[in-house]
Amino acid sequence: MSVYDFSAKTNSGEEKSLRDYAGKVLVIVNTASKCGFTPQYKELQELYDKYQDKGLEILGFPCNQFGAQEPGTNSEVQQFCRRNYGVSFQIFEKGDVRGETAQPLFKYLTAEKGFKGFDKEHELSAILMDALKKHYPEYLEDEGIKWNFTKFLIDREGNVVERYEPTTSPSAMSAAIEKLL
Amino acid sequence: MVKVYSINNCPWCDKVKKYLKSRQVDYVECNIEESEAFLAECQALTNDEAVPVVTVDGKEYVLGFDNGKLDALLGL
Repeated sequence: MSVYDFSAKTNSGEEKSLRDYAGKVLVIVNTASKCGFTPQYKELQELYDKYQDKGLEILGFPCNQFGAQEPGTNSEVQQFCRRNYGVSFQIFEKGDVRGETAQPLFKYLTAEKGFKGFDKEHELSAILMDALKKHYPEYLEDEGIKWNFTKFLIDREGNVVERYEPTTSPSAMSAAIEKLL
Repeated sequence: MVKVYSINNCPWCDKVKKYLKSRQVDYVECNIEESEAFLAECQALTNDEAVPVVTVDGKEYVLGFDNGKLDALLGL
């Protein structure tokens, strides 16, 4: 079994098999479904700009299971949305990524790589932990996705190589990505 | 004809449409995610891919949910 056994609907309604990405290094990430262009989207786009030509693809899966305000951010509210969240990599249809209703791809990804804790060094770890304990304590009980922008690194053969929690910035994945390219 | 450029899952687009309905303003919805043609129009008008964009004459427009600016644009 590999990620290529799964398919998902893109945000323009097209059913896409992940087998179409065979041979590429993939970063699969669950994204916030709020339409503001958060810093995390910006960093993912920067990663894409850097490595797309060398064979990286990024697949974004919007989800609104983590509904509370992004912890650690201020509440600057833009009253408009960007198409495709302002990024040029593939965004898929909004869906669930954790719990009973998680889409099959994410059940597979989290079974392959469980939760090993947030990066203790990261300034947001404590804030994120607090937010979870307060709003979604049940999310802490299993191996599932804990918050927006959990990232999975997939090699060119569809194997799940690593899981990175939201506290790991996309740029911190560069070395690992370069090893696979 | 009032045009509203929009995307799916856009709370601000929904608010604008609701507001226009409440003011009895007829409009045509132009989804830029579902139509290449509408996307091109929106890009040509605003130089961007942000929505909602409301326009009457295809030159002046209002980006985002802003009652005041919409009223001014539409003469409400």
